[in-house]
Amino acid sequence: MERQRRKMLVLSLLLVFILSFSMIASAVVVDVFQFKVETKDVLEKAARLYMEENPGVEVRIQTVGGGDDYGAALRARFASGNEPVIFNVGGPQDVEDWLAYLEDLSDQPWVALAYQGVLDGVTVDGKVYGLPFNQEGYGFIYNKRIFEKAGIDADKIRTFDDLVEALDILEAKKDELGLRAPLAFAPKEKWITGLHLSNVAFSQEFGDVLTAYAAKEVEFKYGEQLKMLVDLQTKYAYKPGGLAATLNALDYATQVEGLFSLERVAVVQQGNWVFNSIASIDEELAANIGILPIPLKGVIEDSIPVGIPMYWAVNKNRPEAEKEAAKDFLNWLYTSPTGKELIINEFKFIPAISGYDGLKPSDPLGQDVLRYSEEGRTMSWVFMGYPSGWGEQVLGANIQAYLAGNMTWDELVEACKQEWAEARK
Amino acid sequence: MKRSRLSFWCFVAPSLLAFIIVVIIPLFFGIYYSFTDWNGINADVNFTGLRNYQKIFTDNHFRGSFFFTLKFTIVSVLIINLLGFALALLVTRGLKLSNVFRTIFFMPNLIGGIILGFIWQFIFISVFGAIGEYTGWNSLMGWLATTETSFWGLVILMAWQLSGYVMVIYVAAIQGIPGELVEAAQIDGANSWQRIRHIVLPLVRPAFTVSLFLTLSNSFKLYDQNLSLTAGGPARTTEMLAMNIYNTAFSFNRMGEAQAKAVIFLIIVGIFTLTQVYVSKKGEVEM
Repeated sequence: MERQRRKMLVLSLLLVFILSFSMIASAVVVDVFQFKVETKDVLEKAARLYMEENPGVEVRIQTVGGGDDYGAALRARFASGNEPVIFNVGGPQDVEDWLAYLEDLSDQPWVALAYQGVLDGVTVDGKVYGLPFNQEGYGFIYNKRIFEKAGIDADKIRTFDDLVEALDILEAKKDELGLRAPLAFAPKEKWITGLHLSNVAFSQEFGDVLTAYAAKEVEFKYGEQLKMLVDLQTKYAYKPGGLAATLNALDYATQVEGLFSLERVAVVQQGNWVFNSIASIDEELAANIGILPIPLKGVIEDSIPVGIPMYWAVNKNRPEAEKEAAKDFLNWLYTSPTGKELIINEFKFIPAISGYDGLKPSDPLGQDVLRYSEEGRTMSWVFMGYPSGWGEQVLGANIQAYLAGNMTWDELVEACKQEWAEARK
Repeated sequence: MKRSRLSFWCFVAPSLLAFIIVVIIPLFFGIYYSFTDWNGINADVNFTGLRNYQKIFTDNHFRGSFFFTLKFTIVSVLIINLLGFALALLVTRGLKLSNVFRTIFFMPNLIGGIILGFIWQFIFISVFGAIGEYTGWNSLMGWLATTETSFWGLVILMAWQLSGYVMVIYVAAIQGIPGELVEAAQIDGANSWQRIRHIVLPLVRPAFTVSLFLTLSNSFKLYDQNLSLTAGGPARTTEMLAMNIYNTAFSFNRMGEAQAKAVIFLIIVGIFTLTQVYVSKKGEVEM
């Protein structure tokens, strides 16, 4: 009797296993390996909605945190043989590295909708290999309430000198305004200096990302102006020990959350992606912020850099059915009514493709980026065209040495030029 | 006879197989890649001979990393073992609370390296900063912003984490010393310092061999604490060898060069630890 029951149990378990396996096997599985941690939950929601509409497809999302980690994790994932169908590439360098795995997406409907120039970074020989995530822009984010209280009209800040003037006023009134310093600067995060800040100068030297990517040498044509931006931020920054060197321990969280969100400083060099972190600390403040241009003195003084942080790519070496499902999912996400609704209101993305009439970003930073775009006051992102590792590990690291006083600016320029040429030999 | 050989292989084969798959084969692959220009992704890999090795000897960052790691290893091995031994002496004196102390001292070792790094980062930057601001001691401000403070930050972190661990090894060794030996010395009039110097120290030599080996190789190969505490900053001056290799491979996409560095790293660690084991084994005494 006992035995019989055990047998039954084993058999029924087996049946359940077989059933569940066959159910999984009958669906086309779309494995997504993506980097944007901020929108992980929304993406999972989008996948659920898509699966409801398309019962034959199972979309599985896996997220690995931004920056360096993603590249290494992706390589590990491919090396393990467990290749995803949808993954992310950043720009020309990634496209070249991964070309053997990239499906040609030129025939997709969104290609015709893409804004001017947003596909340049992922186009090789006329073939498009990536769908842009969204547009992001950065500049000097400022606290509108404090600016008003200090009597500064942010709309009038159009040049480097205007900015200096505004910061001087903040510095002079900082006790009255309850500030520790006018701005917060976080050179510990080498991407803030080595990628984002330097982009202001190099976008003018190279023009676009492909030129930067092809450049055998870097000239530092606007090196002096870049130095002015570093010095400006250092001068007016909150410095924990009073010395410039102490900035090298100031990180992103301290900059955005510890100082800006608590209104201890009024300005930070960041992008529209910080909206959610600020809103999670102080909703009222988050509704009252805007973006000022990053002025490159004498060259371009009233613009902000706007670009594409990452692209969706489809793995060429997966079975046809999976690839078709993957393309359909991406297409659905960016062009169907449900998808568009999600992109604007839940992802809070500024789309890089047209067809979103009537849908506007709901946060003030996104609105500002859009305003700069519409007024044509933008410059391109070229840092994806720097040699691998150069922006952060060479320029960003050397700016730390410059701040610590271990390197002069001229030495920095020389060292960075040399490493660039070395990498592009 | 035949049967025992069979069972010998039955027991050894699984772990031997695992060892070959996860250690030996990758080692040879690594050595092979160190002679190529592989970038970590592409299938086309070109043989470049000894160029990667030549490059390393002109690489200032690698040299900097090597000397930083060496300095860190010497200082932290000394501090960890002195502290661990002192703690072991303390908790074997038969105090009422010695078990509680043992647990407390061992506890830091149970926290993962990454988390420890973040905890200490908070202490060095925010707690030190707040105390500095309150008292006006500027030396407490801006920790981890300079190479010196980052160096001592790493040493403190590692000492805090590992001294409890080596304490356990020393405790076991000290408890293994027969009580009559210590008692006999006591009756002969040896004071407590003399007992430590002439009875305890010689008899815990094997524990020193083990602890020195563990701390030496641990300090040399340190990665996670380094990553979470300083991430190599400022200006890559606190980047230890393991992190330098990782960055070469995954930030600069120079896998071949990174492999060459890893081979050199293996040789360096091997030389240091084997020398240490040989030297400290020689001084061990039998009871």
